[in-house]
Amino acid sequence: MKKMLTLLVAIALGAVTPAMAETTLEKIARTGVLTIGARTGSPPFAFVDAQNQWVGFSIDLVEQLILPTLSKKVGKPVKLEKKESTPPTRIPLLASNAVDLIAETMTDTRSRRDSVDFSLTFFVTGAQFLVKKGSPIKGIKSIAGRRVAAQQGSTNARIIREQAPKAQLREFPDQPAAFQALAQGQVDTYTNDGIQLAGLKAKAPNPRGWEIVGDFYSYEPYGMALRKGDADFRGVVNNGLMEGIDSGKFFDIYEKWFGPKGELPYPMSPDIKKFMIYQAVPK
Amino acid sequence: MTYQFDWSVLWTGQSGEWLLQGILTTLGISTLAWLLAAALGTVSGALRTVPFAPLRALATCYVEFFRNVPLLVWMFFWYFAVPPLLPGPLQDWLFNHGAEFWAGMFALGVYHGARFSEMIRSGIQSIPKTQFEAALSTGLTTAQTYRFVIIPIALRLIIPPIANESLNLLKNSSVALTISVTELTFQTRQIETYTARAFEALTAGTVIYLALCLGIATLMTKIERRFALPGMIGRVASAEH
Amino acid sequence: MIEFQSVNKWYGSLHVLRGINLRIEKGEVVVVCGPSGSGKSTLIRCINRLEPIQSGEILIDGKRLSDPSLDLTALRAEIGFVFQQFNLYPHLSAMENIVLAPMKARKISRPEAEEIATRLLERVGIPDKAASYPANLSGGQQQRVAIARALAMQPKIMLFDEPTSALDPEMINEVLEVMSDLAGEGMTMAVVTHEMGFARRVAHRILFMDEGQIIEEGSPQTFFENPSSPRTKQFLSKILSH
Ligand SMILES: Nc1ncnc2c1ncn2[C@@H]1O[C@H](COP(=O)(O)OP(=O)(O)O)[C@@H](O)[C@H]1O
Ligand SMILES: [Mg+2]
Repeated sequence: MKKMLTLLVAIALGAVTPAMAETTLEKIARTGVLTIGARTGSPPFAFVDAQNQWVGFSIDLVEQLILPTLSKKVGKPVKLEKKESTPPTRIPLLASNAVDLIAETMTDTRSRRDSVDFSLTFFVTGAQFLVKKGSPIKGIKSIAGRRVAAQQGSTNARIIREQAPKAQLREFPDQPAAFQALAQGQVDTYTNDGIQLAGLKAKAPNPRGWEIVGDFYSYEPYGMALRKGDADFRGVVNNGLMEGIDSGKFFDIYEKWFGPKGELPYPMSPDIKKFMIYQAVPK
Repeated sequence: MTYQFDWSVLWTGQSGEWLLQGILTTLGISTLAWLLAAALGTVSGALRTVPFAPLRALATCYVEFFRNVPLLVWMFFWYFAVPPLLPGPLQDWLFNHGAEFWAGMFALGVYHGARFSEMIRSGIQSIPKTQFEAALSTGLTTAQTYRFVIIPIALRLIIPPIANESLNLLKNSSVALTISVTELTFQTRQIETYTARAFEALTAGTVIYLALCLGIATLMTKIERRFALPGMIGRVASAEH
Repeated sequence: MIEFQSVNKWYGSLHVLRGINLRIEKGEVVVVCGPSGSGKSTLIRCINRLEPIQSGEILIDGKRLSDPSLDLTALRAEIGFVFQQFNLYPHLSAMENIVLAPMKARKISRPEAEEIATRLLERVGIPDKAASYPANLSGGQQQRVAIARALAMQPKIMLFDEPTSALDPEMINEVLEVMSDLAGEGMTMAVVTHEMGFARRVAHRILFMDEGQIIEEGSPQTFFENPSSPRTKQFLSKILSH
């Protein structure tokens, strides 16, 4: 029975894991292509800009820090290919070999580490609430009985369910629908990682009409996800990030997107800067 | 590197409860939407064949309008566009009492009602004109003729395509997760979120949908046998466009 | 009882009834014959307004069919119509076929309607078929149920459009017998048929139609023995030769 189910899944999802397959590095060495999964509407991490280019912080990290290290490792130029991924599809995309690396706003968690591996943390945020200005909601302590929108498949929804069981949780598969529900009053607040809310607020027709409230009620370290057990590839990805941190290029890229003139101003706190630097272990 | 399956995630923790709740929501929304669709489809399908042109035009508008706009758009329409038309307190009450469920139900019902309508129309049109005339000439009114003769015959003729469309309705109910209805697909994703076990969760969803579809198909076959018109079943099997 | 005054009917540009004048008296049995496409069906379908006419007037019991205040449903309830193709309701048993109109149009209670239906089934000779569905009845039996269904409304007029043409030869007589009995009871009847034996025995008057006109009309005796029109003679020689 178990075998049959396994087979069924493999067929259904076209996800036949190559049993004696090559490692990711071997594959990249052969094809000269690194395929990543990224969002298309998650500025400034990954989004389609006004010039119709798919750009963003996490894409720059891959292109400018990881790709050079990877090329050096496999001994030939490596091309970057991008595929759209979303929270519900990212793990299946990875597991089915459709993509090699998820460069998304994906929080590194222990339970996710059961099925995928993560790179170093490249961004730190925490969950907060987006409300209409003047709302009585001030944070996770004041949402009992309120209608709270969250993103399906996010860690936030889970925390709300556990820590504020009296809140009426409504989970939406994408951010625009959740924001629409907030704008129209279907829900009283929308909770997501602070940085996501900041992006949403900046893009809203009337940014001043909205407020981001509450302390971080979760710790959301973003990492890039890889297939489990692919230590060599993970090493290359992490080396790329560490070299970027060492050389300062990582912080330049951060400044480009989150600096005062960036897509979404969100200065890096001294604590977090220190944390980033400590992640880069000595050569 | 081979993916290690762990099926126990489907019954440990809250998974079982979530799946059960998902099944109940999916069945609930589908059943109500089906009833709405059947009522709308029967009435509008019948109206599309009546001699009185304005009624025909009205029914045609309904069908073309609802059938040709994607279901997802209807979900958003009923969830986002309709409530603002209601008075404030009622809106708030609705939002606290499963507005998303009712919006999803209406969207599914009117969308599939339009599709049912087409089948019923072709079912009615496959009934010879003299069948109407026979009923009319016994002194039944046009409405009575439809109600007691034409529609009962048409419904029996179109059981197979209706069965098919009912399965589509069940499957389409998963679109309601876009407006936060916690139906079966939503719950399988939920399990995936909590356990990071995408394949197991998706498989559970697939197997449950399969079981529900098989159940409905069996039920429909029973209904078809029970109400069969000897020698007439399957005549309009190609009614679906 | 039935009166046509210069009735004209077109299907598009096809002139199917050309200036028809006709009176059928109460209790009269009129047989209409003529070649195919001559307008016989159209003629009798106009009587209960299954077909509209474009000019002239039809009166039933002195009531004008063109009168906008006419209660068409009530009028149809008084006129039984029997079709060539029976047109029983396939999803209902013989009994249900018969009681439907009395219950819905006349608001008669079910027991009462069933009593009437049982009597009628006896009268048409199939008392044991009440529970049968149309698909399980022979053509002759179906047509007799159709006659019983029409009679259940206690009509003043019965119209028949080739009631035996779709039947196997061995079943024709069982239907004609029922019709003869009905005529014997004084029912006003208009019958389109090619059963010349029936016409000779039962009809009070025979009409011969061709190209939308009534060419010849007379008692069975004059019609068969001394027709005046050459077209009638030609038609009779063809139809009686076999
Ligand atoms: N619904 C209709 N539309 C157009 N033409 C018709 C229609 N019904 C009958 N006709 C034509 O009218 C003529 C008379 O038909 P009908 O009254 O059925 O003749 P009959 O019963 O004598 O065979 C025929 O030429 C027939 O083709
Ligand atoms: Mg005819």
